[in-house]
Amino acid sequence: MRMILAVMYREYRIRTTSMTWLFYDMFMPLTYLLIFGIGFESAVTGGISMGGEQLGYNAFFLAGVLSMASFGIAINTAYGFFVDRDNGIFYEFLTYPMTRAEFLIGKILFNSLLALVQATVTIAIGGTLLGLPIHWERMGLVAVGQVLGTTGWFFFLTTFAIRIRRNDMFNTFINVAYFLLMFGSSMFYPVETLPRWLQTVSLINPLTWHTDVLRYATIGAGSAQSVLLEGAAFVAFLAVAFALAVQTIRNPLRT
Amino acid sequence: MTLRDNIVIRARDLVKIYRKKSQDPVRALDTLNLEVGQGEIFGLLGRNGAGKTTLLRILSTLIEPTSGTAEVCGWDVVKEPYRVRQSICAVLQENAVEIFLSVLDNLGTYGRFHSIPRRQISARAEAVMAQFGLEEYRHQKVIDLSGGLKRRVQVAKVFMVDKPVVFLDEATTGMDPVNKRATLDAIREHARQGRTILLTTHILQEAEELCDRIAIVDHGRCIVTGDLDMIKSMATRAYDVNVTFERMSPEILETARTFPLLKLRTTPTTLEMSVKGSDVSTFALLDALSRVATIVHFEVTSASLEDVFLELLGTKDQGGTKGEAP
Repeated sequence: MRMILAVMYREYRIRTTSMTWLFYDMFMPLTYLLIFGIGFESAVTGGISMGGEQLGYNAFFLAGVLSMASFGIAINTAYGFFVDRDNGIFYEFLTYPMTRAEFLIGKILFNSLLALVQATVTIAIGGTLLGLPIHWERMGLVAVGQVLGTTGWFFFLTTFAIRIRRNDMFNTFINVAYFLLMFGSSMFYPVETLPRWLQTVSLINPLTWHTDVLRYATIGAGSAQSVLLEGAAFVAFLAVAFALAVQTIRNPLRT
Repeated sequence: MTLRDNIVIRARDLVKIYRKKSQDPVRALDTLNLEVGQGEIFGLLGRNGAGKTTLLRILSTLIEPTSGTAEVCGWDVVKEPYRVRQSICAVLQENAVEIFLSVLDNLGTYGRFHSIPRRQISARAEAVMAQFGLEEYRHQKVIDLSGGLKRRVQVAKVFMVDKPVVFLDEATTGMDPVNKRATLDAIREHARQGRTILLTTHILQEAEELCDRIAIVDHGRCIVTGDLDMIKSMATRAYDVNVTFERMSPEILETARTFPLLKLRTTPTTLEMSVKGSDVSTFALLDALSRVATIVHFEVTSASLEDVFLELLGTKDQGGTKGEAP
């Protein structure tokens, strides 16, 4: 536990050296909701139809913002591997008296805390300002969704961040992954309104599973049964991503 | 874990082959054997690509060997990597610092990772900063420091903690002479306290001054291991011969070049040569030189480590290990 706390402390110290990072971490998802969300709410005047229910766009988009925030934190943390590798400290870390799993868990716990603070700020301020129909009694499920989501995406991206040596290659990979995963998911629009082929892409996309769980937890949209199934699928995705990440970090120099 | 024979680091038949797609495999270590005792300062010398860094990477659990075994403090590096990491601290070849943190925070976070009680961290950081002349930079972010200062911060970190084994991969590279001296003093002091230091360096004077024992690594094997005197004696009785003339002339150089010298350097009036006793008679050399110019002064001394190094490696294939370790 001491090593996990040491990793968290180190992440905290680095994070608090920049006001820009702090602003991004705390308020960026809220800003997304307040600008992009309001813009779309104005454009989509009839609202969004989901499971026979009409929702305001911002109410629908709230879960998308939260899952995007999780994904964003995971991307930043994965980029952190490149910064650490460029500064040599990454390899030095791996000689410290901790297991590879402790190293990854320390990082993810700190970033999960960050995701929770982001979600709290976004839901509390965004929900109140925009009058969103928040299911406050399900905030525990939102917290679980944010933590598991951030964790899953972090482990997924860690594998690639360590395997891909070139910063520009990783940048390209992230751009492609970001585009495909986000626009091929239920983040911005309901899956049932999409063409069949895109529905298939969305339904096998872990970002859809993550977003749907958060949507159910925040505004109660979707059925409990399908959300349970999607939650289980995401946990399986997380377990595989964790195993791959630990296996990758055991041989960081790819020898 | 009980140590056998007081041996803290042991490598047996260690082999490491790097395999990369579309490249020939690189055999960085080739049945390397090594033993380092407690409290020793042990130097690994060798050309670039000889296998020194690969050995340190295996011993610090960054990579696994292809075959063979290695132990640190009695723990197997493959089977018990966590135990090994509890016993070591390492300065790797690359700069390794937290660039966004201050010097003080770098030392503080390092201390936390090595389980130094929180109330001791500050005192130790102060002591280490004083030792390495970092006090005036304590609140500066490392990203704003020069390369030499960054290296100083990196090296200073390992003296924050009391791990029984310290790995130093070219630790003094990029340091100014004053801080190099401080580092060498710190290494000596910590060895006196019973810590085992395994270092690599290209600065042979440094190894000569510091190390209790030395191994010369070539093509992934230790070709010679022993204390300095033993290595020098193994190196076929090499000598440094310095001859001073009234003035240098082309004839002097031509005459010197007729002998198989290990090293030949000239100053305006002096020839600095290294000769292998079995190949060259020092008297014959002096006699030949005295026939072409007046010798003002001559001096014959036993060879330096550099001469031995050049002799042992210079007479072999100059190719080194094919390719570079990643």
